[in-house]
Amino acid sequence: MSEIEIEIDGNLVKAKQGDSIIKIADREGIEVPRFCYHKKLSVAANCRMCLVDVEGAPKAQPACSTPVANGMKVHTKNDKAKFAQKAVMEFLLINHPLDCPICDQGGECELQDVAMEYGSDVSKFNEGKRIVPDKGIGALIQTDMTRCIHCTRCVRFGAEVAGIVEMGGTGRGEGVKIEPFLTEGIQSELSGNMIDVCPVGALTSKPFRYEARTWQMNAVPSVARHDLVGSNIITQSYRGKVKRVVARDNDSINETWISDRDRFSYEGLSHESRALKPKVKIDGEWQEVEWQEALDFTIDGIKNNAKNPEQLGVLASKYSSLEEYFLMQKLARSFGSDNIDFRIDQSDLSDGGSLESSITLSEIESIDHALIVGSYTRLEQPMINHRIRKAVLNGASVNTINSKQFDFNFNTELDLLSAPQKILSTLHAILKSLHLKIGTDVPKYLSKVIPDDVHNKIADDLIASKNGVIVLGEHLNSNPSSSAITNLIFQIAQITDLKIANLMLSGNSHAAERVGFMPTKNGMNAISMFNENTRVFMLMDVDCDYDFINLQSAADCFNNEDVFVVSMSSFENESLHTNANVILPMASYYEASGTHINFDGLVQSFSASVKSPGDSKPGWKIIKVLADLLELEGFDYINSTQVKDEALQSSKLKSSFDDVNAEIDDSQITTHWQYAPYATDSVSRRAKALQESNIGMINSAFVSKSTAKRLDINGDDLYLGVPVSITDAVAEDYVFVHTNQARRVEGG
Amino acid sequence: MMKKVKKLVNDFSLGELRTGLKVTSKEFVNKKITVQFPEERTPISPRFRGLHALRRYPNGEERCIACKLCEAVCPANAITIDSEMREDGTRRTTQYDIDLFKCIFCGFCEEACPVDAIVETHIFDYAFESREGSVIDKKGLLEIGDKNESAINKAREEDSKYR
Repeated sequence: MSEIEIEIDGNLVKAKQGDSIIKIADREGIEVPRFCYHKKLSVAANCRMCLVDVEGAPKAQPACSTPVANGMKVHTKNDKAKFAQKAVMEFLLINHPLDCPICDQGGECELQDVAMEYGSDVSKFNEGKRIVPDKGIGALIQTDMTRCIHCTRCVRFGAEVAGIVEMGGTGRGEGVKIEPFLTEGIQSELSGNMIDVCPVGALTSKPFRYEARTWQMNAVPSVARHDLVGSNIITQSYRGKVKRVVARDNDSINETWISDRDRFSYEGLSHESRALKPKVKIDGEWQEVEWQEALDFTIDGIKNNAKNPEQLGVLASKYSSLEEYFLMQKLARSFGSDNIDFRIDQSDLSDGGSLESSITLSEIESIDHALIVGSYTRLEQPMINHRIRKAVLNGASVNTINSKQFDFNFNTELDLLSAPQKILSTLHAILKSLHLKIGTDVPKYLSKVIPDDVHNKIADDLIASKNGVIVLGEHLNSNPSSSAITNLIFQIAQITDLKIANLMLSGNSHAAERVGFMPTKNGMNAISMFNENTRVFMLMDVDCDYDFINLQSAADCFNNEDVFVVSMSSFENESLHTNANVILPMASYYEASGTHINFDGLVQSFSASVKSPGDSKPGWKIIKVLADLLELEGFDYINSTQVKDEALQSSKLKSSFDDVNAEIDDSQITTHWQYAPYATDSVSRRAKALQESNIGMINSAFVSKSTAKRLDINGDDLYLGVPVSITDAVAEDYVFVHTNQARRVEGG
Repeated sequence: MMKKVKKLVNDFSLGELRTGLKVTSKEFVNKKITVQFPEERTPISPRFRGLHALRRYPNGEERCIACKLCEAVCPANAITIDSEMREDGTRRTTQYDIDLFKCIFCGFCEEACPVDAIVETHIFDYAFESREGSVIDKKGLLEIGDKNESAINKAREEDSKYR
């Protein structure tokens, strides 16, 4: 578009044809008051607050919806503009209640700020004010719709970004109400952003309600760690406790949005089950002790139980920081053990880890086709899903291969339902179809495969795509042949020259992979570790109730009398008390400095926002001291930055994967236990409001009619303790358990 | 020369003593202004800023809504407030402490209060028995308010025409 020149408040500035006045003014740092305009949402021009004087126009023009033209002269602060703005302000304040002292928005309220400048000190309005009854919209957002000024930012956010048309304006004139159409509340994984976009106190954070005033809190920039995106956030703490998390702008990562999981999980940090003091188990009794005693007990336990170094096993969850992973594997390797793993919820570890993605987050926005395999990206990786949605709105097509039909917030062209045990054969068929269509030699093992129309259509779309991506999701983790599947997908991507977005392991798994937190030589992995050769376990942030794919074999091993289990954990629970011998309280999210690595390899460091509660200490410090006490060399770190530098310098450990050709009996009924998005890590599981939200309460076992008949279950039964829902939107011979409860029984 | 003579005469005729005695004898017969504190008290302006109190509405409901404006405006950081959502959904304090050692009795808290909850009374003769006694909590402040509500009300009314 051509460059033109306009004049704002006497300054000559360059602009692009078609840009709005407010966009240019924002760029030039000229303040124009606004309520309904938001840089990431469409223009509504309904608040009229941004009226400015354009020379030649008889009336003041809204800056947000007036495109600039060459030679235009705009005045934002002359009498005509000010008069118009003040008049609008007066109208807006007619119905706005004067309850700023009890409003949580008070102090950060756009209306308050603008009223300071443009409002009159006395109201001429003596009639009754409008009162709007509230309809609750869920456990996360508090509504006070009397305060609403009808800017419709929340409505537009819902329709344009979250992809849910659940809020809207009803009624006319004075009677207009912004309200949800349904009574169940807002069902979106991004709903919390409505709080951020609301310029007044009509939508505020429910868990934060009346907790603190905005000006009292200490704001520290940080990075969210629940998914593979590392959304940039600001933690706001008051008296040493995180009270609120809000989004921090970063166009290349999270734009201005963050997921609800990132926003509301902080509540879990002050859960009653926090581990606050070191504890040791002596003769089956737990005792609170001082750090020194606990550390000595730990060292004695490790030395006495591990007859040789290889009897040490180290396990961690996916949500630790780069520093913690690095030091932990360094400790284990210096000690002489290669039994290290973080993939504790994967059922197939035969390929040595290939988490690499060949696409960056912002590139996803411009794809023309996506094939999603084994993922409900919308709930699992909300920010990545948001980018895919943007691409779809720009014309990209999406096919999915999932075991259940998911409610994506964009249109998918083709949803292929395939039970986990059949995904491999499905991919074989697609691969064969691709070979046939491209004209390359069909490998021998595909000779018996016969692709059908659906496979051909998926293959066609893949071939037609110039700039597409194949998304691997976390449902593949628990697939018994996940290595073969990833292998196949990499082959498909290679043939079709498409990119890969590997979202199989969430959290900070890419940091764990980067520092080699998995066996590299001949060490045991997270599945083979549970045998009589491992006598000492060190667990880092592992919840024995939830995290292991095979809970029973882990518990059996931990409960062995001559097995010593050291648990570094931020939380305590019954199973930890049963399984562990020592609990070393560890700092949780926002309480220690660390580093997060995104799925596309972006490294982001953050500092601690608050001090960790009680006697708990940052994980990297605990590991450093343990290493010192074990008299290991090379742990002379003073701060976590040194650890990070060393970790990132160390070469990335790569391991090749074998050509796996798994033979599966695909006639059996399989069960897939998929955690609901707010049950993935120990902090969100303890966040009260998240758990009470609609998405947090997901707890259903989906099964098709014929499979239900084969399993002899009815709609009101429980399957493995989870309520059954009989539906056609799920693959045959398969039960999809989507739940916030701890895993009960493994598939099969 | 003349000055020296005048000074000599004055000195030898006990001039300064006479001046002093003149004041004494005059005040001896004048009306006494000494106040026998604490039996008697000097009049106080309705705007006097003494010990703090938290007020209630006539129906017994506490006024304070935990907006924390007094905490924010306090130049001595003497006020500490914690808030919660009470069971009936209203915003209330769980903690309201004033450290009287820190307080400089500027009256800003009273000015800032949107609901006239925190006020400064006419009480100035108070004492603490321990160091910790300098911090009055919510209960203590409400008690002071309850005891002195009529006086507080009267002072506000007298001052209202000048506000």
